[in-house]
Amino acid sequence: MENKLEEDDDHEPGPVPPLRLDRFGFLKPEISPEGLTKSRSAFEYDREERRVRKWRKMIGVGGSDWKHYIRRKPHVVKRRIRKGIPDCLRGLVWQLISGSRDLLLMNPGVYEQLVIYETSASELDIIRDISRTFPSHVFFQQRHGPGQRSLYNVLKAYSVFDREVGYVQGMGFLAGLLLLYMSEEDAFWLLVALLKGAVHAPMEGLYQVGLPLVQQYLFQFDQLVKEHLPKLGEHFTQEMINPSMYASQWFITVFSYSFPFHLALRIWDVFLYEGVRIVFKVGVALLKYCHDDLIKLPFEKLIHALRNFPDNAMNPDTLLPLAYSIKVSRGLEETRQEYEKKNGKGGQLPGSEKQLE
Amino acid sequence: MSSSDEEGSGEEYLFKIVIIGDSAVGKSNLLSRYARNEFNAHSKATIGVEFQTQSMEIDGKEVKAQIWDTAGQERFRAVTSAYYRGAVGALIVYDITRKTTFESVGRWLDELKTHSDTTLAMMLVGNKCDLEDIRAVSVEDGRSLAEAEGLFFMETSALDSTNVIKAFELVIQEIYNNVSRKVLNSDTYKAELSVNRVSLVNNGADGSKKTQGYFSCCSG
Ligand SMILES: Nc1nc2c(ncn2[C@@H]2O[C@H](COP(=O)(O)OP(=O)(O)O)[C@@H](O)[C@H]2O)c(=O)[nH]1
Ligand SMILES: [Mg+2]
Repeated sequence: MENKLEEDDDHEPGPVPPLRLDRFGFLKPEISPEGLTKSRSAFEYDREERRVRKWRKMIGVGGSDWKHYIRRKPHVVKRRIRKGIPDCLRGLVWQLISGSRDLLLMNPGVYEQLVIYETSASELDIIRDISRTFPSHVFFQQRHGPGQRSLYNVLKAYSVFDREVGYVQGMGFLAGLLLLYMSEEDAFWLLVALLKGAVHAPMEGLYQVGLPLVQQYLFQFDQLVKEHLPKLGEHFTQEMINPSMYASQWFITVFSYSFPFHLALRIWDVFLYEGVRIVFKVGVALLKYCHDDLIKLPFEKLIHALRNFPDNAMNPDTLLPLAYSIKVSRGLEETRQEYEKKNGKGGQLPGSEKQLE
Repeated sequence: MSSSDEEGSGEEYLFKIVIIGDSAVGKSNLLSRYARNEFNAHSKATIGVEFQTQSMEIDGKEVKAQIWDTAGQERFRAVTSAYYRGAVGALIVYDITRKTTFESVGRWLDELKTHSDTTLAMMLVGNKCDLEDIRAVSVEDGRSLAEAEGLFFMETSALDSTNVIKAFELVIQEIYNNVSRKVLNSDTYKAELSVNRVSLVNNGADGSKKTQGYFSCCSG
């Protein structure tokens, strides 16, 4: 084939096999018959153009109008984000809505300090997982290439920044996803914004010793399933299926671990603006969409199905509207209180889990 | 629909087995090699738990192993250790090229003892034996630790398949032997076992035992 991809001569010497990538840079599993010919229609292209123009107007140069706009028309912003942020503006908008841009500006030089001068107890753990994070993405594939180096730097910096959390498997997928849309330093501050809770509830409990927030979310999710899909909930109980068997990674990596990338991005758009609620909504929506199939399956097949949703279930344009229609706020509040009552105010588990480490 | 042979003739066994050990020693690849004959040099790190089943035949009976693969990082034990409960077999894996993973074996055994009291068969597995030239743990060290702890021992390679099937099948066989040696007719033992057995098929008969649940996570 002769569609050339060069531009940067930065490649390592040696034969470079022709790569077939999807539009996000992931290796295509195999050549689909219509593969090359299938490009966007002129109509779609036009529509995308119009959306980008609207968005540019909304955020202003370098994000200068954003705060103003969001104060005046939060519902417009919400609606537009739910339709998906244009890919070319995603990185910038993510930084604006997550509050990471402000953190960056308030902390000049801090990232560099963390990367260059500090050492972390997690360095080896991080290195071991680097090649196991988005292994099929072209940016992260090259051993010691720029992608892997950035990923290492961000994770190391975070493990120093918060030594109590350090590095936990799963964080690499967050950092990796961010690095596809922004610089190392920006990605680092966005990670900080999420874990420390710049705009929404802090996520660090997902990674702290005992994984307290994972446990809380799984408990809440279980209750939500029972509330929204009582028959399926009953079936799960009978088959002894527990959300920890399939949903831990949904929360720990915000769907970036094993879901199609284009879907993960759309979820992240909403997640950064609206918070973790969307993770619950998407989770329930997936189960709802596949309800009639799932309810027939016995234990083993059920687990398999819950880890391998069919393609049509993962189409963002059908899944997300379904997710938006699911109301979880009240359920989440009630189940959180219930959980805290059971486990003590801090949400910390009694007994066994604590003494580890 | 559940498969039909529900009468006593085709006795069915279902054993729960866990595969544990430090991160990146090759647990997930051992399992995928065993269950699907696949090896993936670029597999993702396991987050939480994964699960596979594989069957073998012993004495003309179908014996099914339900194998749980867990994240290796210490932090995850808070959510993974719940899966040790009810396990009747365990593979404790280390990487023969990394001494620290071998030194962790003791801690993994402690974990297992704390969270499960029914384990019938355990095997120490030194994986990545294809990497002979960067070996850091000798075969003797592996074997003597196994002997001291009363474990089976085998070196494996998920990469080139050495001993992978053997290791799993030996554990399964041992569980089977233990089970049939025990008074199989004793009702109390059967009840005890059915808790571990996690019936997949609704055999109707013992719905009550089933609700005992081999799994209990966050709730006390
Ligand atoms: N050479 C070699 N590499 C292996 C073997 N088993 C696993 N690996 C590699 O070791 C890394 C970790 O494997 P994985 O199965 O994910 O480990 P886990 O974290 O214990 O589940 C991967 O890069 C594998 O390709 C083996 O038998 N030989
Ligand atoms: Mg694994």
